Amino acid sequence: MLNKTIVKLAIPMAVGALALTGCGGGDSGSGDAYKIAFQGPLSGDNVQLGQNMENGIKLAIDQANAGGDLGFEVEYVPVDDQGLPDKATAAAQKAIDDESVVAVIGPAFSGPADTAAEVYGAAGLVALSSSATRPDLTTKGYETFLRAVPNDSAQGAGMAKYLSGKVKAEKVVVVDDKTDYGIGLADVAEKDLKAAGVEVVRQSVPQKTPDYSAAAKNVTKNKPDALVYAGYYQDAGPFAKKLKEAGFDGVAMSGDGTNDAQFIQLAGDASDGWLLTCPCTDATKEDATKKFAADYEKEFKQAPGTYSAESYDAAMMIIEEIKKLHEDGGVERQALVDALRAAKYKGLTKEFSFDDKGEFTNQTIYLYQVKGEGIEYQGSVDELAG
Amino acid sequence: MSIKTSSAEGAGQDSPSTTAPLSAAARLRRVRWYQEPRWRRLGALLALAVTLRLMTGEEGTTQDLFLALREDFTGVGLWVWLAIAVAVWAVREFLADQTSSAVEGTKKVSAGPLERVRQVWSADKRVRMGVLTAVLALVVFGPLGVERYWQQVLVDQIAIFVLLAIGLNVVIGWAGLLDLGFIAFFAIGAYSAAYWTGSLPVQPPVALNNFLVLPIAVLTCLVAGVILGAPTLRLRGDYLAIVTLGFHEIVYLMAKNADGVTEGARGVKVDRFSIDLGFFSYEWKLDPMPYYWLLVVFIVLAIFLFLRLEHSKVGRAWTAIREDEVAAAATGVPTVRYKLMAFAIGASTSGVAGVAYASKVGYFNPENFAILLSILVLAYVIFGGMGSIPGVLFGAAFLVWLPEYLREWVDPKDRYMYLGALLVIMMIYRPQGVLPSRRRKRELRMAEAGVGGADATGPAEGRQP
Amino acid sequence: MSLSEFWDFLVLGVVLGSLYAVIAIGYTLVYGVLQLLNFAHSEVFMFGGYGGLLALTALIPESTPSGMGSVAYVLIGMLAGAALGGAVAFGLERVAYRPLRRHRAPRLVFLITAIGASFFLYNLAGKLFGRNPLPMPSMYENKKVLSVFGAELTITQVLILVSAVAMMVGLDYVVNRTKMGSGIRAVAQDPEVASLMGVDIDKVVSRTFVLGGLLGGAAGFLFGTNSQVWYTMGFLPGITAFAAAVLGGIGNVRGAMLGGLMLGVVETMTVGLWGDDWRYVGAFVVLVLVLMVRPTGILGERVGRTA
Repeated sequence: MLNKTIVKLAIPMAVGALALTGCGGGDSGSGDAYKIAFQGPLSGDNVQLGQNMENGIKLAIDQANAGGDLGFEVEYVPVDDQGLPDKATAAAQKAIDDESVVAVIGPAFSGPADTAAEVYGAAGLVALSSSATRPDLTTKGYETFLRAVPNDSAQGAGMAKYLSGKVKAEKVVVVDDKTDYGIGLADVAEKDLKAAGVEVVRQSVPQKTPDYSAAAKNVTKNKPDALVYAGYYQDAGPFAKKLKEAGFDGVAMSGDGTNDAQFIQLAGDASDGWLLTCPCTDATKEDATKKFAADYEKEFKQAPGTYSAESYDAAMMIIEEIKKLHEDGGVERQALVDALRAAKYKGLTKEFSFDDKGEFTNQTIYLYQVKGEGIEYQGSVDELAG
Repeated sequence: MSIKTSSAEGAGQDSPSTTAPLSAAARLRRVRWYQEPRWRRLGALLALAVTLRLMTGEEGTTQDLFLALREDFTGVGLWVWLAIAVAVWAVREFLADQTSSAVEGTKKVSAGPLERVRQVWSADKRVRMGVLTAVLALVVFGPLGVERYWQQVLVDQIAIFVLLAIGLNVVIGWAGLLDLGFIAFFAIGAYSAAYWTGSLPVQPPVALNNFLVLPIAVLTCLVAGVILGAPTLRLRGDYLAIVTLGFHEIVYLMAKNADGVTEGARGVKVDRFSIDLGFFSYEWKLDPMPYYWLLVVFIVLAIFLFLRLEHSKVGRAWTAIREDEVAAAATGVPTVRYKLMAFAIGASTSGVAGVAYASKVGYFNPENFAILLSILVLAYVIFGGMGSIPGVLFGAAFLVWLPEYLREWVDPKDRYMYLGALLVIMMIYRPQGVLPSRRRKRELRMAEAGVGGADATGPAEGRQP
Repeated sequence: MSLSEFWDFLVLGVVLGSLYAVIAIGYTLVYGVLQLLNFAHSEVFMFGGYGGLLALTALIPESTPSGMGSVAYVLIGMLAGAALGGAVAFGLERVAYRPLRRHRAPRLVFLITAIGASFFLYNLAGKLFGRNPLPMPSMYENKKVLSVFGAELTITQVLILVSAVAMMVGLDYVVNRTKMGSGIRAVAQDPEVASLMGVDIDKVVSRTFVLGGLLGGAAGFLFGTNSQVWYTMGFLPGITAFAAAVLGGIGNVRGAMLGGLMLGVVETMTVGLWGDDWRYVGAFVVLVLVLMVRPTGILGERVGRTA
């Protein structure tokens, strides 16, 4: 019975807890305020990716507000879809219901983008995704969906081109991680490699597999010249370790999901020599990027992760367009859609512009390589593969 | 070890060293100061305070593993929580008389009117019908007044899960079968909808309207339920649980891996509901409310059918099986057939929910049928009060709504932490659920008094310490 | 699959299976005394991983230690993992299960508290330690040291095997030969009679939980050295180990060991033959088939007669 009384006693404490956590988040003050929403996985299994993006956006908004020359205030609204398509419509509706939301960054994942883009289209609210890379999203006629990232076709093709053209691999194992992203990327890589006359073995290793040693054995038993891993760094880390243990000595390559400093942290020296493609330009050398990384770490006590910088760019780009519209009189949802469609913006990671379907125009893929403790820029795949 | 006789033996050896030798019994009976209830309560409250501090404290990062722990244990917050804990404890211990009399007072005041309401409720059938009609009207038209966001949540999540919970209630609440793979049938329903509307890579013989898929999905799930159930239903409670869990995992992985048939992780796009009768046609589009009314029709229909079943021979047979399977079999109840029936009925309800779900969201992938959902639906049913339709309705609606609502109050990442804590507290406080059925309440009371097990999934005779 | 590949995968399967076996013991012990599916055991395992990680992060120097140093670190990691795992299991029993036992709640209610506790614990871990995975600090250079029929084992794999076997042997001894073990077996056989004989049931149950928690926590650390540590890492191994306990005959300690090894091998063989995406299909198909032939598991449910 002891516990029952404790539960009774706990009620006043719980009330205290609500009082403590409930407060915070004051008013933003007077003047015009526009809200930018982010739709992505802010809880659930893929929360880390959502958090990377959210932090990038928050940082952009804070910096823009702190700049002081906007003439208005930007506010951040999180909408959580848990990375699941069925939660996405409700999440989108939340952003739409709030009338001062003028733009949405996201949906972060392709599945949710597929269900939410229609709702955003009907509401005339722009949905600018910096990470949903499934190619067919821009072909479905979603009116306000813009993609601020090259789709999987570009990156998969880049991987295939480099492996067949430069490495001259004859046999490649392509491994996906059974996510939307991984499968899309691996499909394109597989198709293009086969088209270039390379023998391809396709394998799948679902995310969060408890033991990667069997998967590594499966790769090495095929004796490939090269490996393409289409997935995120959380899984590429242990996979790289086990590949090294299994004695894999071919060329290992992965995409932008792995192009992250944490990959090196997780894989240790097993990550040495991995090739990483990315639609992002040489980010490590520019001062602006360094400053971004430093600011980010200071603010959130962790290093920027996959898509942090891309989301930062997307937010900055939207804020810039809002600013232009604001100076011209007022910001409306539809006007912002049109403005963004026509916009050109040079961000940390790449230059942004869209074609008439809302697809990202700049489809250049760049190559990086893990060397020691860092990821080094190699050049654009087109130039390298000749 | 804790065998008391042995410590008594030990007492004999130790006694020379103690100045005032105690008898073995006295030693056993002696209560040290920290074993007194009062101090144990203080200890528990302080532990609770530390836990609450961790729950509401700093967000950790992988960059610096110790950050959150360091902040939580050095900051002012911990002392605030500890102070609250000590204050609550002091009030409870030293002002117990005053507070308890106040509580009793309010109880007495509220007991009078409540009792009268209960009498009126049980005496007059018209009152019951009137209230039910009013509730139904509120359910049907009430949501028109809320934000569109909540309408979406109501359809996509609450209504669908209410339908699922009603189905699972038949399996677990009435027949007492522990099914941890319920969402598998939900997936089968959704994929049936995709197949028969021609949205999968494999084409059906004839492409059908979503409404026509409903009976087919019911049939498919019925068959799937029987196929799974027939060989496994002779397994006892816990074994059945793991087999159904395995079945779920197999269905989920099939959906995920059989790319050529199910599109795998890429997901499937499905047409929405539409009616075309020539003279009348209607299409369900983006507005959530039409789906809501459709789902309410499904739910009301399911409740109506299941209530008829519960009060029929079938329902009584289920109760008999749940309370004592051996006795039921001995008195001539064909237990396997009735268990199979419950299983199949639950499965087909889940299938209907699957079709409705697929035709509402328009796009789904295997992640929508993760194993966690099977476990969650089970929690909804037990939380509300298994075996009781109002309880199950409330349980599902409340527990689906709560995490959405918590979003505004706590970090969305932590919502399920609070949900988990709530489940634990609820089960300690009200193991029978929020609105239990009368029979279930009696079964639990009997179990507490040590007369028989509460159900087939309850404690075996004489096992429970 | 060629013969050498067969040995490769078999060895990997045995390594993984020995981990499953150690976790499965936790499920089976608790089931033995309480007939309770302790769903939250997977979180005990996860906290074990964090326990080892915390201790080593605090202790280990920048460079990879060598020689006796690495042995010491491995021991520290295992002890720390076991300690945190045991503590979590102890708290779990006190807070979530003991009050239910007091008023003889049906087991279904225990199941829901277990689920609730599991939600609570893994989300709390995510909040405290961040939600990104973390590698174990390198305690030694992971070289290949042993060759079995051409299949080479790394230090980590040998370490996992040796520790798991040691833990299993130790547990078998504790359950069958010590006074504490006879208490556990007595309660498992008949709690009422045991209590009449003077066994303090509360203490036995509490110790059973702690015992399972110690093993689960140490297994969590070993698992972390083999892959990495993150807040939901308990979920999949937990379900598999649970299945393993059922496969061997739940409540039966040796059955859990056998079941764990079997599932580890079946999983890895499935991966070798059809790829990683079918891993759990193989495991669960075997489980379902075995239960159809032997409804109480391979070694049978011998609650109380664990020997």
